[in-house]
Amino acid sequence: MGFISTVLGFCGFGVGISAGLVIGYYLFIYFQPSDVKDPEIRPLVEQDSETLQRMLPEIPLWIKNPDYDRVDWLNKFLEYMWPHLDKAICATAKNIAKPIIEEQIPKYKIDAVEFETLTLGSLPPTFQGMKVYVTEEKELIMEPLIKWAGNPNVTIAVKAFGLKATVQVVDLQVFALPRITLKPLVPSFPCFANIYVSLMDKPHVDFGLKLVGADLMSIPGLYRFVQELIKDQVANMYLWPKTLQVPILDPAKAFKRPVGVLHVKVVRAMKLKKKDLLGASDPYVKLKLTEDKLPSRKTTVKHKNLNPEWNEEFDIVVKDPETQALELRVYDWEQVGRHDKMGLNVIPLKELTPEEPKTFTLDLLKNMDLNDAQNEKSRGQLVVELTYKPFKDDEIPTTFVESKEVQKAPESTPDGGGVLVVIIHEAQDVEGKHHTNPYVRVLFRGEEKKTKHVKKNRDPRWEEEFSFMLDEPPTNDKLHVEVHSSSSSRIGLLHPKESLGYVDINLSDVVNNKRINERYHLIDSKNGKIQVELQWRTK
Amino acid sequence: MGLISGILMGMIFGISLMAGWRHMMRYRSTKRIAKAADIKVLGSLSRDDLKKICGDNFPEWISFPVYEQVKWLNKQLSKLWPSVAEAASAVIKESVEPLLEEYRPPGITSLKFSKLTLGTVAPKIEGIRVQSLKKGQIIMDIDFRWGGDPSIILGVEAALVASIPIQLKDLQVFTVIRVIFQLAEEIPCISAVVVALLAEPKPRIDYTLKAVGGSLTAIPGLSDMIDDTVDSIVTDMLQWPHRIVVPIGGTPVDTSELELKPEGKLTVTVVKANDLKNMEMIGKSDPYVAVHIRPLFKVKTKVVDNNLNPVWNQTFELIVEDRETQALTVEVYDQDIGQDKRLGIAKFRLIDLEPETPKEVTLNLLSSLDTLKVKDKKDRGSCTIKLLYHRFSKEEQLAALEEEKRILEERKRLKEAGVIGSTMDAVGSGVGMVGTGIGAGVGLVGSGVVGGVGLVGSGLGAVGSGLSKAGKFMGRTITGHSSKRSGSSTPVNSIQENGGAKPL
Repeated sequence: MGFISTVLGFCGFGVGISAGLVIGYYLFIYFQPSDVKDPEIRPLVEQDSETLQRMLPEIPLWIKNPDYDRVDWLNKFLEYMWPHLDKAICATAKNIAKPIIEEQIPKYKIDAVEFETLTLGSLPPTFQGMKVYVTEEKELIMEPLIKWAGNPNVTIAVKAFGLKATVQVVDLQVFALPRITLKPLVPSFPCFANIYVSLMDKPHVDFGLKLVGADLMSIPGLYRFVQELIKDQVANMYLWPKTLQVPILDPAKAFKRPVGVLHVKVVRAMKLKKKDLLGASDPYVKLKLTEDKLPSRKTTVKHKNLNPEWNEEFDIVVKDPETQALELRVYDWEQVGRHDKMGLNVIPLKELTPEEPKTFTLDLLKNMDLNDAQNEKSRGQLVVELTYKPFKDDEIPTTFVESKEVQKAPESTPDGGGVLVVIIHEAQDVEGKHHTNPYVRVLFRGEEKKTKHVKKNRDPRWEEEFSFMLDEPPTNDKLHVEVHSSSSSRIGLLHPKESLGYVDINLSDVVNNKRINERYHLIDSKNGKIQVELQWRTK
Repeated sequence: MGLISGILMGMIFGISLMAGWRHMMRYRSTKRIAKAADIKVLGSLSRDDLKKICGDNFPEWISFPVYEQVKWLNKQLSKLWPSVAEAASAVIKESVEPLLEEYRPPGITSLKFSKLTLGTVAPKIEGIRVQSLKKGQIIMDIDFRWGGDPSIILGVEAALVASIPIQLKDLQVFTVIRVIFQLAEEIPCISAVVVALLAEPKPRIDYTLKAVGGSLTAIPGLSDMIDDTVDSIVTDMLQWPHRIVVPIGGTPVDTSELELKPEGKLTVTVVKANDLKNMEMIGKSDPYVAVHIRPLFKVKTKVVDNNLNPVWNQTFELIVEDRETQALTVEVYDQDIGQDKRLGIAKFRLIDLEPETPKEVTLNLLSSLDTLKVKDKKDRGSCTIKLLYHRFSKEEQLAALEEEKRILEERKRLKEAGVIGSTMDAVGSGVGMVGTGIGAGVGLVGSGVVGGVGLVGSGLGAVGSGLSKAGKFMGRTITGHSSKRSGSSTPVNSIQENGGAKPL
């Protein structure tokens, strides 16, 4: 008897528990409101000490730490913008999700999946402080502390077999301390090529997940498990030193690095005009690419010849085949005085097919204005042969790729030796008694190299690179770097030269570290500093 | 018995389980909401709030200025400056040189930048203030200071004189830049940006001019002419209420709300002048009066020969865009062979005028409006004018807008035909370009900063798009500029036309 009653009791308990759960669900959970209300925000002055105590851990970083800057203006900006941002983001999210859902649902025999509500709520993310780090490298580093404790409401309704189930995400909270690095800095807008984002801490994530009205996250234990899972997943991907890289610009384009070589053969010219009073002209051709700062290349002068034949070849480095053009100018050489122009023409490089030689016969013009009547006159013709050879991918010089690795030395370097590369970046607060037109002398083992002069500047920037080929590592050597100033005027006899300070750098560190980029205080200078980068390249 | 008690116990257990769950739900939910509220409150602290939290241990490094300091942004800017300077100088050169060509006065055959570098000193942002005075608009005021060392050399080739390179040295810009963001409900959430310099405090743009390998005194009055023109261009193009409107984003938006529009009409009757200064060697001055609100729309009276107390009684109508801030400038000139001499200048603020009520005022003439530059305290006479301000109705406003556009078109046509030398009036037109150069420079720097701000503000995903927008923004600034003047039929131009084209 007792046994049966116990069995029945267990059965009854089983039935009862399910019934109880259903009743309980309808009693307590089903009628809970599923909408999200704006939290009631009371001004801080009205709050009692107990709430204040609770708040203390959330005090923004800029209050606690003087090295974090306050960015309340940014918070304000975001707050004003938030309602618009909310609508824009939600609309975009819906548009993106729609085709994906439509593609997926037939597989699972679901009738429809749709957003019942989608809003990010009324509370915008806040920046609790911003810190920037200044390094010697060409990069910007900033660390904002972002806290978003919002009240979003995302409800997804799934309909299948005539039933409807809803999944709702509420009260999402994300706190993160990302480090945003912008590098390398490039001289074209927006002035950096890549954004690197990585998290300095595991982010804090908290939210409520309601399945058919019941918050799964409030089941004891589950919340912690899910939170840890998310943290670990995110940390796996983005926790420092892992980074997320967002390319903004192609650094090759930004730097205008060479992308190919233009092979030019100046063949001959025909029927040139006579310019000299006595005898025929003495023509030669000047070649130049537009937007190129390099000096033009010249052919030899063919004396007394109006149909000269040169057959001379040139190689010109091309930086942008889309916009650059080859300028050809024919001049008349003169023993004395200015050389006369005999005519010119331009060939845009986009007219060329890579690797394919093409011969042009050009009419020489007075100028490039098409409507100018003077161009009607015949000035003779010029024959050139052009081949554009783009670099293969592996041929492109890759110095600009911010490789942490120091480049390899060229093949010709002797065994055990290497190349010492000295890059003079900039100096600060250098000042001469009589003039400040600084340039840098680099002395190494008796070899001397000089940078350009910068006129009248206390904070000159050179960015010049020198290299010394060595047979063995310069472990016991010193590099002497000296800042000089020379008088700008030609009559500067009184104070022709002046030293603005020097520094001796021990090279053993460079050999050990491969690369050192530091700012040194100058000796014999009040406050001067110089930034020198040293690299030791081996095979 | 066992069954029933089992069911009962099961039910109680189940219900209490559910009740417990609900309790947990409530508990966690209130905790989260409380935290959200805390963070919200702590996000915008004031001094009193902080005092309450910290008590006696108030951190000394914290202050709450109206313009918030942005040390971090300055650090970043100075690091970024070499790149920005290089990029911007290329952009300025590309965009301003066509303008120079357009504003070139007849006497000069070629006008180009022979050198343009922005120097090594980065601008500083002294502070930023963000407010929203109107729904759907965010106003950001940037206290901008740049005591730079740019090297700007203008190559001026005149027909008579050979090439004169003019160098602009020690450029200093101190101003508050007001940037208004018009919000939209589509990404990037900003449909247009309005850039202007705040009139109060007055923008200060200082520089010294130097002729390279020569002397500025070779052309008398050139330096003053440049100063005046730079000033009038800055006040007429950039200084509030004048503004540059840049639409952002792919979709065309109606920016007419943001544009400056004719608001009313000022009827000016130049009656007479008294006790003018005699500038002529023989006989007396031949005075005439030029009045303007904006230098582009300058009107002149006829010349009265040999008279120091001339009577003109001539009436003109001028358009008023913003009565609150604009002023009427009255200049008295002496007509002369060659350059006309200015006998005096006076300004009358339109805010002092009641609408629809005629007023007669006598203005004391000064040698210059800049009080620092007044060289002598001699009396320069006075000028009497009658003023009547009329506020436009909607239809009149539209008509005025059309009229203004027509006048500018007409002038452009005349200029192309070679009848007049410049879109600006002949007075001081030759040096307009200097101001434009600076203006564009300021605009570029400003927008660079804005780009950076957008970057920080938008989420990580939006960073990329924000930046490309910043890039586009740059591009648009320039197209906006040039199309304004060239009158080509780009979309930017059409937007500006329906909003009232404001060339300079």
